[in-house]
Amino acid sequence: MRSFQQNVAKLEAADTQVLGVSMDNPFANKVFADENGVTFPLLSDIGGKVIREYGIYKEYDQFHTKIPAARRATYLIDKIGKVVAMQVDTDAVDPTKTVRACERRKLKG
Amino acid sequence: MRKVGIALLLACFLLTAVAQTQKESAAPAPEVKIGDLAPDFTLVDQNGKLRSLHDYKGKKNVALAFYVWAFSSD
Repeated sequence: MRSFQQNVAKLEAADTQVLGVSMDNPFANKVFADENGVTFPLLSDIGGKVIREYGIYKEYDQFHTKIPAARRATYLIDKIGKVVAMQVDTDAVDPTKTVRACERRKLKG
Repeated sequence: MRKVGIALLLACFLLTAVAQTQKESAAPAPEVKIGDLAPDFTLVDQNGKLRSLHDYKGKKNVALAFYVWAFSSD
């Protein structure tokens, strides 16, 4: 999320709101946001309903237990609500592609 | 001494978490694809405010960034 924070100005200049989503609770997100200077909303999908709807729910094997969470994924959604670009897993860590996709769209419209 | 022990233990946990995350690969493609309408949602943010995808409709593009958990390395 830190890498998104570094690109927030560029995304906002391209008329784009950044929203983070995970299965963390709001308190963990608050501490995370404060400690890392995250200024955009970090949303809590506690039961994983939205994460499942997008099809990126996953159980991570940690310490011999399965921990449910989201896969790393970024969706760029346009003003009419359509998905216009997406990156999944390691591709989604670096927001450069999302930033470029936004900027291309801005030129077009 | 105890504090050092706790710190070391925490470091181990974090390293395992990072290693584990990097190992995950070859997962199936997500259900929502380019060209689809993004499923609407209403979720609470870190300040207790409700945010819905439809709040931005007709106003802004949305970069929806799913992350594994708070404090993960990226």
